[in-house]
Amino acid sequence: MTHPPTSSEIFTRYDIRAEITRQKVRRVSEDTILQSVADCLVSGDDTEILVVIGKALQKREPLEIINKGLIPAMKEMGRLYDEGIIFLPQIILSSDAMVAGISLCEEKMGQSIEKKARVVTHTAEGDIHDIGQVIVNALLNAAGFEVINLGADVPVDDVVEACRLYKPIMLSGTALMTTTMTAFPRIAQKMVEQGIIIPFVCGGGAVSEAFVTGYDLGIWGKEAGWAPLIAEDILFGMDWKEIRTKWNR
Amino acid sequence: MKLTGSMEYDSSAEMMFGTACRPVKTRSGLVIGSGHVIPEVISHPRPGTERTLHDLLREFERISDDTLERCVQVGHPSVVIENEHVFQMTQNPRWGGDIAAQTAGQLEEYRQKYGLACAYRATIADIRKPDLVDMRRSDRTDAILESFEVCAPHADIISVESLGGKEISDYSLIRNDITGMLFAQAILGGRDMEWLWPQIVAIAKKHGCLAGGDTNCSQANVAMFMAGGFLSNEIPHTMAALCRAIGATKTLIAYECGATGPGKDCAYENPIIKAITGIPISTEGKSSACAHMSLCGNVMAAVCDLWANEAVEYHWMFGGSSSAVFAEILGYDAAAMNTALELGYQKEFQACLIYSDRYRSPQSYILCPDTAFEIGKAIVENNESYYSRAKAAAIRCGELLQNDTKLFFTAFEKDSLNGYMRDLRNLPDTEEEFIELCLDRYARVRGFSPASYDL
Repeated sequence: MTHPPTSSEIFTRYDIRAEITRQKVRRVSEDTILQSVADCLVSGDDTEILVVIGKALQKREPLEIINKGLIPAMKEMGRLYDEGIIFLPQIILSSDAMVAGISLCEEKMGQSIEKKARVVTHTAEGDIHDIGQVIVNALLNAAGFEVINLGADVPVDDVVEACRLYKPIMLSGTALMTTTMTAFPRIAQKMVEQGIIIPFVCGGGAVSEAFVTGYDLGIWGKEAGWAPLIAEDILFGMDWKEIRTKWNR
Repeated sequence: MKLTGSMEYDSSAEMMFGTACRPVKTRSGLVIGSGHVIPEVISHPRPGTERTLHDLLREFERISDDTLERCVQVGHPSVVIENEHVFQMTQNPRWGGDIAAQTAGQLEEYRQKYGLACAYRATIADIRKPDLVDMRRSDRTDAILESFEVCAPHADIISVESLGGKEISDYSLIRNDITGMLFAQAILGGRDMEWLWPQIVAIAKKHGCLAGGDTNCSQANVAMFMAGGFLSNEIPHTMAALCRAIGATKTLIAYECGATGPGKDCAYENPIIKAITGIPISTEGKSSACAHMSLCGNVMAAVCDLWANEAVEYHWMFGGSSSAVFAEILGYDAAAMNTALELGYQKEFQACLIYSDRYRSPQSYILCPDTAFEIGKAIVENNESYYSRAKAAAIRCGELLQNDTKLFFTAFEKDSLNGYMRDLRNLPDTEEEFIELCLDRYARVRGFSPASYDL
């Protein structure tokens, strides 16, 4: 066919039509040294950031580099991602750079920095599709939470035991298959029985809002990006019922 | 192993739905790829039924009966039913075997009673998660091979969706890293296929069924799923397109190990596979919207031999069970294509399928017969190693995307594509050098064990 049809009645490229003009990342510091750390985090280079921070540490305190360079830059990346301006890989690479940068600063301080709170994450028993959980982990890390990553195909009892042991503010579970998401209500029931009353954010693949809101503690997480926002709500003092009311129908 | 060095088709113009250079015949007598498109219906059991064998048997009994009955009710002449194992069916091989025996019995009943031409594909679940077990030596590996053994006596076709390299592809995909994807799909996935598929082919031969083939579902389909639609900002569609081209080199290995087809439906790379091997393929497009979104709804039918639906969960709809409803839909789609073949309008019909999607997205573009053929050519012309042909496929795919001015990209997709091409062209010349580079670069990825791939 020499003249392929091009009618917009066949399809419309809404992504091209609605493309958001690329914005520059906002500066996070007037201090050129701290800004150089922020710039490196934005570029997502987890090797180069060690060089940049190594130089910065000669003139700035490690805690200052974390609080006034790394964390504000990561927040800026989070804003751009939430607004649909940058893509997932950009925030994942920045998260990698932040983890590397914080480790170097902590080494210099001789101690770990305090995280906002602890979150346990897992992929359902019988389910080996954990890429959703990996993304949740990265976004929680980037937002300053400590992530206890239980991995994939985690037995129900192991999840409950981890919550008892680590005392997280939130549990997250991901599942691709409908035949594995049935582990979630069993976990929730055991947690209630043991008095572990924390929001249990469940999402992924075929996991539906109707299913998750059918058991106590369950909050349906439509997107990985919701995980840190819900965790912030918990820090703000909201319980699982209030969170469900806010995020689910 | 000698890698494929020639194309089975001379040109993409020869490729048509319903016909393949190398048609296959199932043990029950259904011929696939010999002039007609056949619907392939895949249903998924409801949550909760996986808890006992009794419940799963009952669920699959309903699924198959509803599918077969609807085919008879509306007059579909033929159908393939596929059971994709849920985790429990492979973890407990007896479960999968009992369900296979039951399903084969149901098909036989419809053959005898109504003369319905039908066949049964059993797809074993690959439960070897690379970062959890040794891919070649684990209880899960044993369970998979045992599952093939117990299903093959009953099934007409056996398949799998193998997971080799997934630990590295999951890591690389969300980092926009084409080098990692190449390593994961072509090298790790390829080496796993080369180990796994001769065993599957041997089992199929022993029991007289067809070794249907594999799919790059765990990698290229993850990329497609994450690239999503026009509102998504997970990964670029250009990355998903390149992953598809690379993934074809992994899927091809099943056929190089002796599989005969029909290829697995969720292998969106199958048009490339058909161009190279001439085997009949199963594909899915708009019909798989029940399982996931895609931007390839019509074009995927352009060269199909089986027309499928990925997976629909069994539940009740206004028009009957979802299995019955999808059997009806897929069969009518097949009937339209078969009518085009009989009226001699197949080229026109195919053009409509292709051009409704050709410029919809980078992914649909590279799966049109002509572009798929070009990628196939790059694969066979660079058959020195898994690495050389996968790199060539990715580069050719990228060139096709870059050189058609009617195809549009968002800025991020275009920038990313330019970056992938730069990275690909800067990679080492030989497979040995590439493996050395990647073993160093990805050594710290959680759960990556080179020994699983004999590296």
